[in-house]
Amino acid sequence: MIRNKSMRRASLVSAIVATGAMVLSTLPAQAATPGVTATEIKLGISSPLTGSAGLSYGKVPGAMKAYFNYINANGGVYGRKITLISRDDKYLPTAAATQTTNLILKDNVFALVGALGTATHSKAYKAAALAKNNVPDLFINTGFSGFTDQTKYPTTFMVLPTYAMEAKVIAKAIKDNFAGQASFLIAQDDEFGTDGVAGFKTAGHTFTLAPILYPQGSMTSARAEAALTGLSAVPGKPVVVLFGTTDVTATILKAAEKLALTTKFTWYAGSVGADANTLLALGVKPTTVNGVISASFMPDAKDLTDPYVKQFADINTKYNKGITFDNYVLAAMNSAMLTVQALRAAGKDLTRAGIMSAIEAKGSTFASAGLVPLGYSATSRIGYNGYWVSQLNEKGEGKPYGGKLVIYTTDSGAGAVEVSTFVRPTMPKNGIPTNS
Amino acid sequence: MKNLKLKKGLTALITAALVATFTAVIPSTANAADSCSNTGFIDGAKYVAFQKCTGTDDNGSKYEIRMPAKFNGMLYLYSHGIRNQVLLPLIPVVNPTGTYSKPRSEPEVAPGRTTADQELIAETLLKQGYAVAGAGVQVNGWSVPEAIEANMLLVVKAKDMFPKINKVVSWGDSLGGHISQSLSEQYGIIDAAANLHLAGSAANQYSYANDVLWMYKTLFDPTIKGNGYTQPVSATDTRGYMELIGDIGKLLTVLNALGTAIKTNPTAPVWPETATNVPDALKAIPVRSAILLIGLLAGMPTQSTTYDASSGPAGPLETTFGAAISPALAILENTSTALALGVIGNYDAEMRCGGSIFDNTATDYSARLGDNGTIFAAGLSGKTSTAGMLLFLNRLNPAAPRVAASAAAVACINNQAAYTGKITVPTITVSQTADQITPAGYVQKLKNQYEAAISNGDAKPGLLLNIWNKPPDSYTEFAATGAAVTPTEPTTGTSHYMYTNDQILVIAKLLASAGKSGKLPSVATAKSALKNDSSMFIDPLFTPELMPQDK
Repeated sequence: MIRNKSMRRASLVSAIVATGAMVLSTLPAQAATPGVTATEIKLGISSPLTGSAGLSYGKVPGAMKAYFNYINANGGVYGRKITLISRDDKYLPTAAATQTTNLILKDNVFALVGALGTATHSKAYKAAALAKNNVPDLFINTGFSGFTDQTKYPTTFMVLPTYAMEAKVIAKAIKDNFAGQASFLIAQDDEFGTDGVAGFKTAGHTFTLAPILYPQGSMTSARAEAALTGLSAVPGKPVVVLFGTTDVTATILKAAEKLALTTKFTWYAGSVGADANTLLALGVKPTTVNGVISASFMPDAKDLTDPYVKQFADINTKYNKGITFDNYVLAAMNSAMLTVQALRAAGKDLTRAGIMSAIEAKGSTFASAGLVPLGYSATSRIGYNGYWVSQLNEKGEGKPYGGKLVIYTTDSGAGAVEVSTFVRPTMPKNGIPTNS
Repeated sequence: MKNLKLKKGLTALITAALVATFTAVIPSTANAADSCSNTGFIDGAKYVAFQKCTGTDDNGSKYEIRMPAKFNGMLYLYSHGIRNQVLLPLIPVVNPTGTYSKPRSEPEVAPGRTTADQELIAETLLKQGYAVAGAGVQVNGWSVPEAIEANMLLVVKAKDMFPKINKVVSWGDSLGGHISQSLSEQYGIIDAAANLHLAGSAANQYSYANDVLWMYKTLFDPTIKGNGYTQPVSATDTRGYMELIGDIGKLLTVLNALGTAIKTNPTAPVWPETATNVPDALKAIPVRSAILLIGLLAGMPTQSTTYDASSGPAGPLETTFGAAISPALAILENTSTALALGVIGNYDAEMRCGGSIFDNTATDYSARLGDNGTIFAAGLSGKTSTAGMLLFLNRLNPAAPRVAASAAAVACINNQAAYTGKITVPTITVSQTADQITPAGYVQKLKNQYEAAISNGDAKPGLLLNIWNKPPDSYTEFAATGAAVTPTEPTTGTSHYMYTNDQILVIAKLLASAGKSGKLPSVATAKSALKNDSSMFIDPLFTPELMPQDK
């Protein structure tokens, strides 16, 4: 009897243990994944909402949220709603480090998306120990080629092409279209500019004079006027490449207006510094904007014949009320759509390692508004790997230079700049990805 | 030398048979003049009685023990921070009230910002039934060996006088944290330790200070001596001392000139007139960039009590100020406090070790900049300016002569007792993330040492808990004029400032728990204890940058 009781107890204990094991084994694996519950995925973004950079980039988190809300209204990702927590870093490295750390420690986000800036994110990545914490660092908005180093930034995925790539494409455009003209470079004197300088060098392009380099935040009207006055002594119609932010492009173009030098030069503004809406908002005359050449990997936000642009513009109207749809909103929604596809590709049992593997394996096939291919693979964390050359008109619309869209692809190293036959994937129905 | 020999002897004895053997070998400690008195204090409606015992050990270190009438068996052993060995005349900023003009040798029994705070902490522990004790080490300056010995003698004395002591927990701040850590690792007499803004090794702390000093000399005033002060040949030989006093004056002049230049024109402040070595081309760079570069190369935090390296005055300069000016001003503010300690401490170390302890003949300052060249590109006035300044600091530049150390002096400073990370008892560290005197990198080094010790089988895991004190997300306040307002009390998480009484008492509680159980409180428990304090955090994965001198 005693023995039987003992056996019964043993059986009962075994049964409880077994049931417990079964319950445990059926619990979703993501139970222990930070920022993920059965009903929610928490994402975080540190970017400038205020300060001088907030003027241009302040729309990014709101646009991403708008797209996520649209997805949430349509069932979320495998039943989970996406919450995007946005923190303002004012485009300042120390603030970015603080806010990114807050996103990880206080907000307990699953992943970061769309972090912005080279100096800011360099500091934030280390301060918040993103590598140690294995935090996915998705679709960062900087083209600094240093972020392609998977040893140093093992969880980072870029979305922009590198500045070196852009410089190589610009060099080809100058060679193809402005051979024989003098050319000059005015660039920010940090990784942004020096990455560009390196790209021009790799492409074999030699500027007529040594590049004019300026520290970030130091380009004043007087400095711009002095630089342009000096360059204007060169005969012909030189090409001036502006490799800086849009506010600096505006300062230089306004200096050219003051000196009546707008038609003296062919203006070539890098993609970071050529947002037409911002140029016009900062007081650059439409006639000056007209003709500025740039490079882009996205369609123009004013081109509502583009199905991606149209879809995102519609989402913006409904979910981001009162915000003008422009290139920043377009890029932000595009990154949000890439994020949703990455979450889907990672599967229902969402983990940090899983989403990074999914992007490596499938990211190059994600649907995206970009007109150039995505380059994700096990060995590459670069997003877009090319550009098309555009020219702004008085309305600030970017049209293919020469009237025909030509896609160029290249790498950050010594690879050639090649014309691509890339055809982007079709926009998912209603802008809602269904990939797996 | 005598101290080192004695220390080795003590170690062997204590590990063999601890108190009995020790007291038998050094009976004189029991014979030293001890004085005990019964006293107490009122706590609400209660009178808390305790016995206060003071005396001096054989080496001349004073001690104090306070034993409550209702004792629970645990003694808190406190080690105070560094005290100046070198006595100074009244000097504005550095020694305005004469604090550093007289020898200080009184024991302290608890940490605190002020004497009143220290009393409050001591009384709080006493009424909870804990005993408190501390030594006033007979030698000041970097006197780690002497302090360890004084603490050991004190523990022996306390146990001899109060046999009910069955647990001893050690705590200390700054150099006292270093002493506490070293003591807890090596001698088997401590049950748990809590070390507040722990100092690094002597060699690295002095290298840190000397890096700053050398760059100030090289860039701002080549007449600063900085190193190799004349060693006295007699008790009345004051040549080296006068060289030190001269250097302090020159540094104050430089700091004043830098502050004035930035106040006059924060965007493009001019270099001091004393920067006679620097070519005009370099002086075209705003001097704030040179200040920032010095701090980054030395490993100094870019946040200070006034400047958060983020905020700017409302208006067109807001972002530029946060990106390019605020970090430099933070470094300048941090330097002004760190440099005084550095130059005086360095002089003291040279006197202690008989020659220059600093050697930067092989230091590659350019390589030290690393990612900070990217992160602070705006503050450094761009890559080109940075390259120019680094070129000037290059060891091949005859205008920037390097300092060669005395091999004997280096050996001497390296032989100062130091912790090794072979942690054997529950250990808690608490540090500011932006401490300019004992930067957070020193705790990271301890963490690395501990991890290595675990890997090598020299330590068991789970014995180190790191608590961090951080600044608010943004905190610089600006007056209507646009000038930053220095707070009346250092901003939490910045500077080398003692924690609040509430924070200290939480640490004390965690320490007691560790001492009693032999185990660290869990991270969850520790977080819970700190949950009402948003300036404190615990994250095992938080990894401050190692100091460049430690890489």
